[in-house]
Amino acid sequence: MPTEPRIPVEPTLEELSAYLDHELDAAAEARVAEHVADCAACRVRLDGLRETVHAVRALPMETPTRTFTIPAESRKPFRWAPVGWVGSAAVALLIIGLGIQNLHLPAGSATSGSTANFNGTSSQRKSAEGSGIAPLAAPATSALPQQFDSQAGSASANPSTVVDRSNGSRRMILGTDGAQYSKNGRIHVSIQLLGSPSTSTSSGDQGLTLTLVRDGVGVALHPVGVTSWNGTPIFGGTYDLGALPLTEPRAGDYQLAATWVIPDGSGRVLQASVPIRITG
Amino acid sequence: MFPSKSSNDDRDLVGRARRGDREAFTQLIMQYQVPLYNMALRMVGRPDDAADIAQEAFLRAWEKIRTLREAPFKSWLFQIAANLCYDHFRRGKRYGVMPEDDQTSNVLGLGIATPDPQERAEANERTRLVRDSISALDHDMRIAIILRDVNGMAYDEIAAVLRVPLGTVKSRIARARAQVQERLQQHPDFFPAREDAHAD
Repeated sequence: MPTEPRIPVEPTLEELSAYLDHELDAAAEARVAEHVADCAACRVRLDGLRETVHAVRALPMETPTRTFTIPAESRKPFRWAPVGWVGSAAVALLIIGLGIQNLHLPAGSATSGSTANFNGTSSQRKSAEGSGIAPLAAPATSALPQQFDSQAGSASANPSTVVDRSNGSRRMILGTDGAQYSKNGRIHVSIQLLGSPSTSTSSGDQGLTLTLVRDGVGVALHPVGVTSWNGTPIFGGTYDLGALPLTEPRAGDYQLAATWVIPDGSGRVLQASVPIRITG
Repeated sequence: MFPSKSSNDDRDLVGRARRGDREAFTQLIMQYQVPLYNMALRMVGRPDDAADIAQEAFLRAWEKIRTLREAPFKSWLFQIAANLCYDHFRRGKRYGVMPEDDQTSNVLGLGIATPDPQERAEANERTRLVRDSISALDHDMRIAIILRDVNGMAYDEIAAVLRVPLGTVKSRIARARAQVQERLQQHPDFFPAREDAHAD
């Protein structure tokens, strides 16, 4: 006697949730997949959970509001103190939320090699929508058209490349147009995010932070994002060193550090840094 | 399942930090400060509180790193921060409202064209609704969904951070997602509900 094909038992909420995360064992995963394929109701449940996961993962990565430090002296009990007390130490630290007052986009003569022109309006608008980051104060007229060197990393005078060990095609290339600048000079920075799972040109969406650090005290630089001809998000800008809120004496040896929290929900972090000397 | 992401990368740095190498520990700070801060921020809401928690977690980790043996540094560090988040609430502090200004105070003069005000407002509202939905969860569910969907941790990593069985992690994440989904669907203009086939 023929029998009706039997749909596997309806998965629980926990199973559907873990199924989205690939956290079920092989047998359970196969059972859920088989059931969902034949059950419209469970597909709806699964899609609802999936959209919720996407909504939570779309929260922008925020930049810390201050620098995190460890004591300059050897370990001893202490409490948190305001930023500033770490004066010495070869500690490279990061990220504070200070804005750059006078950031100028790269001019047309950025660097040698192939360059691409981008009118970023639509992609930037899209990224702003996704990130929830609000409007930027700079005059729009200064932004467009923008020019970025799509080979900036390799063409840079001061490059650093870091490769994702879990995905060899994913790399971050940080570069500057020099390694030494006068204290009132301008530094051109470029950061390419090759193999990024996101096409956003918002640094917040990409999980990208850029900081100029000395003795454990950092100044956050906020790179402008554009999309290269091949879809690679490229960030950068030309920064007026004289306008940065650096501590005195401004001359000294710094590290320019780029940190990329890869926006795929994996929590992986890539970091690259290059030495920068600022002279009097 | 996510691989155990950074444990191999960390091993050398942790070994050096255990011997008092400040530079190695600084590298660990740089690696984890953004995810750790964001975990704390989504837990407690207020940026200053989150920064205090992250700072304290790094300090305690530095002070105690000699006691760290086989456990992965990442799980251990997040465990410290998670405990500090619970302490924060035990002291009677509530989830803080993130000041709207704080979302943009770090972003000045970047030269990006101003997006359409309506699109921007809608994006901000979606972000706010998601944040509020997470903040409405109880602490156990909230930290589970944050570690999973904000920090991207695998279930076994989350179990290590929270020191609970894997089944508990699975349950908390699922229930948290269901509750967030339910709250978001109360705002169909931003999160349209799918037709529920179970409604019949």
